[in-house]
Amino acid sequence: MSDQSENQPRRIRDSLPGDATYEKTIEQMIRVDHAGEYGAVRIYEGQLAVLGDRAIAPVIKHMADQEREHLSTFEALAVKHRTRPTAMLPVWHVAGFALGAGTALLGEKAAMACTVAVEEVIDEHYSNQIARLGDYEPELAATCEKFRQEELEHRDTGLEHDAEGAPGYEALKGLVKTGSRLAIWISERV
Amino acid sequence: MSDHLDQKMQTIRTEILNAMLPNVVFDGWSRRALDAGAKDAGYDEIRARRAFPRGLSEVATLWSEQSDQRMLEALDELDLRTMRIRDRIAAGVKTRIMVNTDQREALRRCVAWLALPLNAGLGMKNALNSVNEMWYAAGDQSTDWNYYSKRGLLLPVYTTTVLYWLADTPDEAGDYPDTWAYLDRRIDDVLKTFGIPKRIRESLQQGFMGARDARDAGDIRDAKA
Repeated sequence: MSDQSENQPRRIRDSLPGDATYEKTIEQMIRVDHAGEYGAVRIYEGQLAVLGDRAIAPVIKHMADQEREHLSTFEALAVKHRTRPTAMLPVWHVAGFALGAGTALLGEKAAMACTVAVEEVIDEHYSNQIARLGDYEPELAATCEKFRQEELEHRDTGLEHDAEGAPGYEALKGLVKTGSRLAIWISERV
Repeated sequence: MSDHLDQKMQTIRTEILNAMLPNVVFDGWSRRALDAGAKDAGYDEIRARRAFPRGLSEVATLWSEQSDQRMLEALDELDLRTMRIRDRIAAGVKTRIMVNTDQREALRRCVAWLALPLNAGLGMKNALNSVNEMWYAAGDQSTDWNYYSKRGLLLPVYTTTVLYWLADTPDEAGDYPDTWAYLDRRIDDVLKTFGIPKRIRESLQQGFMGARDARDAGDIRDAKA
């Protein structure tokens, strides 16, 4: 433990008294990842509800399909580990769709800015989780790493489609990022 | 080392619990019954205190967990896979109740204790765990809000069936046909409510279809400007 710097996340076996147990921590990770992928699917569905007949639709559809695949992976893991889904799922169901549809109504660029913001937070989240998992759960860590790479592709797709040209890009991005971080924080706990 | 000690302590806990139950019939779900149980199992009061540092609530939870375990073992004997879901659930509730058929009086006292305001949360928590085991045994794979609605709907079915059973009288064969009829009626009630969320979802979706119209209206306005 002593060799770890302060800003490095504490690995899950290095728990202190009062921390969740190993099994609880794994369950918590699966729960929050499941919630995140669920929310992501809903965001893209919201975007497609508005932009479904535009030229950009296939790009969004491709990302939505990848998120659906992530979601089904975590669904299988949730059943395997007997993890309850987050109780906030109905909220994410509506909030995710509203975020996707809302930014899409602001325009294609705003929708892409939303994608960039969300995927950046997810990248942070997965990186953090992979560091915490260390060598303890190689399978789960590999899954997270694979998904993280795909989420980064989505971010790059967003940037390619001129996300930065969205009106109020920085403000919008900041807002969505804060919201996403809050959603992660809540999903880990409820 | 600690695993070994844990196991040993768990054995002691189980012995005390089993010896406590006959005393509960007379002394209620009480310290007195717990101490008498410890004594009957060959331990002193101090050992009983150490085995259950959180007291009677911990004993109640242990009883519930062990009953769940016995339910799962009994359910393994049945061929749940060939049954309809509702029959699997009915079998779960029935089996869970019948594992304690010889302890009906003790259970009655325990339920009375759990009904006290300060213990109500614990009773619900234990019942929820039992219901959770029933759903997993029935092969439930839900990871969306059905996870909660399934457990939430089965919880009152299970708990009220237990109460019905405690007031029921057995037939000559020691079975409780009235209770099982009650259980079937409650499951019927629950199945009726499954149509409601579907109707809500449909009306919500109709609302969202307005989103695309709003966008097109905006485009037309922009084009005019």
